[in-house]
Amino acid sequence: MYRWDFSPVAANADLLAAGLLNTLKVTGTALVFGVALGLVLALLRLSRQRLASWPAGFVIEVFRTTPPLVQLFWFFFALPLIVGIEMTPFMAAAVTFSIQSAAFFAEVFRAGIVSIERGQWEGARAIGMTHGQTLRRIVLPQAVKRMIPAFMERAIELMKTTTLVATISYADLLFAANEIAQKTFRPLEAFTVAALIYFVVIFTVSLAARQIERRLAVSGESTVH
Amino acid sequence: MGHQWDFSSVLANTDALLVGAIGTLHIFAICLVLGLSFGLVVGLGRYSRNGWFYFPATAFVEFFRNTPVLVQILWFYFALPILLPFEISPLGAASLGISLNSAAFSAEIYRGGIQSIEPGQWDGARALGMRWGQIMRRIVLPQAIKRMLPALTNRAIEIFKMTTLASAVAYVELLQQGKLIASLNFNPIEAYTAVAVIFFVCLWPLVQLSYLLERRLRRDE
Repeated sequence: MYRWDFSPVAANADLLAAGLLNTLKVTGTALVFGVALGLVLALLRLSRQRLASWPAGFVIEVFRTTPPLVQLFWFFFALPLIVGIEMTPFMAAAVTFSIQSAAFFAEVFRAGIVSIERGQWEGARAIGMTHGQTLRRIVLPQAVKRMIPAFMERAIELMKTTTLVATISYADLLFAANEIAQKTFRPLEAFTVAALIYFVVIFTVSLAARQIERRLAVSGESTVH
Repeated sequence: MGHQWDFSSVLANTDALLVGAIGTLHIFAICLVLGLSFGLVVGLGRYSRNGWFYFPATAFVEFFRNTPVLVQILWFYFALPILLPFEISPLGAASLGISLNSAAFSAEIYRGGIQSIEPGQWDGARALGMRWGQIMRRIVLPQAIKRMLPALTNRAIEIFKMTTLASAVAYVELLQQGKLIASLNFNPIEAYTAVAVIFFVCLWPLVQLSYLLERRLRRDE
């Protein structure tokens, strides 16, 4: 019978903490850029100008239908050679996951914007608002509220996806666990602890998301059924 | 931006990519079948009012939905063999991780689909003297499956994308072969672009199918 011993892992708690911090750093960066870029992509996609909507649609489709790990390898190994710059693992991860999550966020934004009744647009135009004003003052504030559940679901997916950076040697939580496993010859304990840390963090966010979702469902403002 | 694109070194390795494609399809098929069928079992557990079924199923779903797949795969590859008297192959570890993860996600699809069938259908079937298993098999599931089809197609697409994670434990699939070609020919640009294009071409029809199914479902309901 195998004897579990967590003390070698506990002795390396600082590595795990630094790893978790790096995981949160990548997640946070990709989230900020992903949401901003996602809104831009959604607006372009909804545009009646084909020169705007087709390229946006193409970017969204490509990044939604190819595996994130392939994208990450492309941005880490191929892109630096094409544009002639050095790419750190963090930069590659930030760029890949920003664009990848932007493609998904774009669809969330689009669904939210489309869900606002036509009458709101017409009413705003009737009192003399321009397209931009209607979008900013009338449509987006209502749409964003409806999008929150789908949005949080995406953020959780993003955090899980960031584990892929371990494959290009960025010192995230998973990478730290692998390092500890090799250093202490305790892979069982190291990977179990890493899995539990991920579970605790992500499950907490999930529970918060569900709470918010329930509250929004009560007020009848949700696009998730 | 002065890169001269040259796919000839990739084309010269078509056989290696083919081996990778077979590896990808192999693990995809395993995970699709295991994930979706085990997901049905777990989904029924989540639907059950019996605590002995409900709680283990719920714990399973929560755990596998709230941890990253790559962590699961590495756990099965590096950690599990310590508890077992035998080695686990890269294919075994990767398909365990991906299948269990997909089971947890599809379980929620099955549960949602089954719950969406009106209670009146159950009452009617019971009034005709059908047992629980018969009602599920003959009445509820056939209708629920139709409603679940778009979500299940999306799951299949996700599984296909997840198979690339098997390369992290050196299972021979498309991305792994792309890595090999890139390192042998010093052509990462062309090698990874080719892999990305292959995935896009394989998955695009499936994605279009899922859009079509979603549209049809919305029209029918």
